[in-house]
Amino acid sequence: MNARRAWIPPLVLAAALVVVWTVTAALAGSAVYPGPGEALASLRSDLGDSRFLGSVADTARVLLLSYGAAVAAGAVTGMLLGLSAFWSRAALPVVYALNSVPKIVLYPIFLLFLGIGDLSRGSFAFVSGVLPMFLIMVEATAGVSRLHLKMSASLGMSRWSLLRRIVVPSVLPSLASGMRLCFGLTLIGLLLAEMFSGSSGLGYELLRNLSLARVEKIIGQVILVGLLALVPTLALQQLESRIRNRYEVKV
Amino acid sequence: MRRSSVVPSYVRPTPRRVAGLPSPLWTLVFVLVAVVAVEVYARSGAVSRLDLIPVSEMLSRAIELLGDRKFVVDSLLRSVLLICASFVASAVAGVAVAYAMARSRWIHRAVKPYVNVFYALPVFALYPVMVVMFGTGVVPIILLATLFSVVIVIANALVGFESTPAIATKLARSLEMSRSQQLRKILLPSALPDILAGLKLGLAYAIIAVLATEFILATTGLGQVVNRAYNNFDTIDMYAGIVFVSVFALLANLALGAALNAFDWRRR
Repeated sequence: MNARRAWIPPLVLAAALVVVWTVTAALAGSAVYPGPGEALASLRSDLGDSRFLGSVADTARVLLLSYGAAVAAGAVTGMLLGLSAFWSRAALPVVYALNSVPKIVLYPIFLLFLGIGDLSRGSFAFVSGVLPMFLIMVEATAGVSRLHLKMSASLGMSRWSLLRRIVVPSVLPSLASGMRLCFGLTLIGLLLAEMFSGSSGLGYELLRNLSLARVEKIIGQVILVGLLALVPTLALQQLESRIRNRYEVKV
Repeated sequence: MRRSSVVPSYVRPTPRRVAGLPSPLWTLVFVLVAVVAVEVYARSGAVSRLDLIPVSEMLSRAIELLGDRKFVVDSLLRSVLLICASFVASAVAGVAVAYAMARSRWIHRAVKPYVNVFYALPVFALYPVMVVMFGTGVVPIILLATLFSVVIVIANALVGFESTPAIATKLARSLEMSRSQQLRKILLPSALPDILAGLKLGLAYAIIAVLATEFILATTGLGQVVNRAYNNFDTIDMYAGIVFVSVFALLANLALGAALNAFDWRRR
């Protein structure tokens, strides 16, 4: 089957789901179960509302900052720790334990110390994304070929050029998949934080419409959130497959 | 002597001890230092008791909560049941979907792209929709937690089914095994280690989803305990709840990991 035909089954499945949704919504005729048409119409009216657009922009801005910080901090610290097998073994159990705790229940601590606002939800989104990024990078750095490390030692490379010429190119594929994973987790963290307490942002809009019982608005906004998440993810997937083709060591 | 070695540390053999301590003891040191630092900072008076309380008080209050009948029945038991229900549902559905994908090329092509991007999508955005449709009871929580954890089970089980050695499949064909025989005798045992890995992650995801949805909007449950304490400025109960939830999640994940490893033939 060629590449073009591979698009057909997922599209058929999506179309079938939309049809089921339309038909059941029309049959139910219920105010709490709107069809796709109503959802899209209310999304269109939302997009004309400057307050709502402000919320979208707020979420996008905080997401971008916390995502960039999570990727940078997780990648650099992960690489540095990964170079030392002893300290990885000592520190990793703590980080894995932290990572398995449902982080959302820690959010009140962020609120107590940072107050309600961009700082607390941004920091929370950062923490949601940075731990997995860090863990992936530690594992990837620990997996750098020993042969390459020995070679760099025999060439008397400095720590800096070791990182730049050996470690970074070896861990690039993991960095790319980490970046993809980290994006989704940061976004989930941010939306949860906004849902819990916010004065703007997409998560806040979702819960505000819940208390107003505007289901068609919520569904319209869920579609928007999905689209906003999907575009960067597909771009990151593309980036990942390119990097894998170029840098992955094939055994 | 070793300090003057020209061999850089990253190619030297890993030392067994640093400063006389092996790595597990250093792990303990890290945890102790963090706990003592919080304890001292909270007792020093530099921070208000409304913001932070000493770790010892968090722990003693968390243990007190275990003796509180209302907490145990209304919150702990309820959350545990919700987690179990969503975990079982996602385990069964996840393995079934992965099996269908392994059997049919068409289903595989149709579902795989969605599995790949699923965790990039913030599923929790659906929670308000489910609450409007089903009310604030247990239904939306179980639905969302199942949805959130099923996909990781599918992804892992699929890897397992697809890594079945071709020779075993050929053997099944030459023995003219029926479909159910193939599933029971070849596919499931061969995919078992990957399925178990998926189930471990599935439990972690189910716990996260149940606690997060309870935390955001619910009438009771472990997540709601933390939420209510925060909203009532009850700092002691809030920290006790957080400690309790963290320890609970950690122990549940460790216990399931140990239990599932017993079935894993790769580890024998």
